[in-house]
Amino acid sequence: MIANTHTSVTSGETRARRSFYWRYMVEPYFYLSPALILIGVVMLVPLIVGISYSFQSIALLKPFDTGWVGLENYAALWDDRKFWLALENTFRWTIGSLSLQFLLGLGLALLLNTQFRGKRLFQALVFLPWAVPTFLSALTWAWLFNPVIGPLPHWLHDLGLLSEPYNILGDPDLAIWGPITANVWFGVPFFAITLLAALQSIPSELYEAAEMDGASAWQCFTKITLPFLAPMIAITVMLRTIWIANFADMIYVMTGGGPANSTQILSSYIFTTAFRKLDFGYASAIAVALLGLLLIYAVILLFVRQKLVKV
Amino acid sequence: MARMEIKNLMKRYGQTEVMRDINLDIKDGEFIVLVGPSGCGKSTLLRMIAGLEPISGGEFLIDGLRMNDMRPRDRDIAMVFQSYALYPHMDVERNMGFSMEIRGDDKIKRKQRVLEAAKVLGLENLLSRYPKELSGGQRQRVAMGRAIIRDPRAFLFDEPLSNLDASLRVEMRLEIARLHKRLGATMVYVTHDQVEALTLADRIVVLEGGNIQQVGSPLELYERPANRFVAQFIGSPTMNIIPVSPAKNGVTLANGTKISLSDMLDLNAAAELGIRPEHIDVLPYGTGDFDAESEVVEHLGSDTNLFVRVDGIGPLMVRVHGNVPNQPGDKIGLRFQLHNTHIFSADGQSLGQRITLAA
Repeated sequence: MIANTHTSVTSGETRARRSFYWRYMVEPYFYLSPALILIGVVMLVPLIVGISYSFQSIALLKPFDTGWVGLENYAALWDDRKFWLALENTFRWTIGSLSLQFLLGLGLALLLNTQFRGKRLFQALVFLPWAVPTFLSALTWAWLFNPVIGPLPHWLHDLGLLSEPYNILGDPDLAIWGPITANVWFGVPFFAITLLAALQSIPSELYEAAEMDGASAWQCFTKITLPFLAPMIAITVMLRTIWIANFADMIYVMTGGGPANSTQILSSYIFTTAFRKLDFGYASAIAVALLGLLLIYAVILLFVRQKLVKV
Repeated sequence: MARMEIKNLMKRYGQTEVMRDINLDIKDGEFIVLVGPSGCGKSTLLRMIAGLEPISGGEFLIDGLRMNDMRPRDRDIAMVFQSYALYPHMDVERNMGFSMEIRGDDKIKRKQRVLEAAKVLGLENLLSRYPKELSGGQRQRVAMGRAIIRDPRAFLFDEPLSNLDASLRVEMRLEIARLHKRLGATMVYVTHDQVEALTLADRIVVLEGGNIQQVGSPLELYERPANRFVAQFIGSPTMNIIPVSPAKNGVTLANGTKISLSDMLDLNAAAELGIRPEHIDVLPYGTGDFDAESEVVEHLGSDTNLFVRVDGIGPLMVRVHGNVPNQPGDKIGLRFQLHNTHIFSADGQSLGQRITLAA
């Protein structure tokens, strides 16, 4: 109250009362400016430059053919069979990886939330895949799927899942499952650790109260655990979806998008277009399309989260 | 309606035995209060009755049926938790009706039953609120409502009032007493507050160090404590304990005063004398059993607490009914009301008491 009225002016200070405009429209932004400038420089400027590329022809192999081309890149995108294939693969890759990562991560978190001997050791082990460099785990998994040195094809054959022990990374119908498997192995710790943290924050009396109220273990899970995890689930699923959809490393190392583009997802397609075909304009157009899709997804999920979360 | 029998009950955590040989019969419809200092095992005992804590040894029966290995949901007991343990993601109506929801009861029946209980507890306007939007007292009521809805054989309360402020505590205490009268159900109530124990209980169980010290009605515990622990735990302000030595037909205080207790048995083992502050009479200087000097005077309106010092004995507390004009530094005479004097042996057991009840 006192600060707002400015009635006291100390001697020697001849400061006029600042205008309303200055105090409410300018001054706050002045204090915010370091953060705003930082965000602008590292996020907004590259984003705008990237989007502007998508309206230009920038191909290093055609250096004399640069300039604004309007929606030409997008028109080409619409007719690009490989784009639609990559989009479809992106869905399969994202949904496959995400759902398996989530379910296994939730299962692990629930197991780790019980009491058993050597719990700390297991917690550390669960976290381990997260710490392995992607490149390394992708290579290791590629080798595991290789029938010459890896055991997986032989095991799959013995289980009757494969007619003969061949490399599934070379089969256009199955190849996507190779990177998905590696990605699940890599991503489970993230869900396990975050969901475990959320589980541990649920007060134990709630379970006791539910037990007294007659709830079975399954009812405790659906009526207490899940509602409590919902906010965490929503936010982690959203983050992971975006990360996985953008996550080309595994695919690039394991299959390079092949065979016959059967494992090409949008982000790996962007990478190949930009750095193999050196067509930055077209790559930017694909990237903007991916950005749009992910934005729509994020908005939907945040909306659902708001509906779900009551705590 | 339930009769509970606890036989030689034991609780072990790993190698440590925290409770041993607990024996207690709870009659149908009785209000039992488990009271004791923190760490005495009262909550553990309650949780064993509830089924939330496994029983390490002995037996627990409800209506003659062995409950040791029954799950909580099969014991048909409701419990009100200290923290209330309301489900924060459900509104009041769903919180209260949760047990019916679990049972898969019909929605209309559920609503009706919740409304009935809500009316009893004055919650009918709050049914669509969430727990975080309620005050402490309202949450407490919802927790009680959740228990009532189930119409269980018995109610358990785990320090239900300890999170409320003083005036609300008195109000809720009355409400619980009313609830007991209305439902007539067996209730087991845990508290560390002796006022709650004295006001609510049909019988009080005083626990200490994992052992039952005494079981009895509030007045029994006040008038005939079995040992020094119960004597000091029950009653406020705390009973004065004064070291004494046995004498012929009585005991001798450290300052040489002789207290005659001729009709008391076995005074040879007497080591301490217990006298409640309200059982010491204040007399003019020089006319009592011995003299004292008051150090601090607390005027409570209805009573006056005098903290006095007696040469050779030390500090004593005296409570006088009404307002007395004493000032700090005043010299006064004191006299013990002999029929309210307790004598304890060196190991704290009561040797009896000169009590003349309506004689």
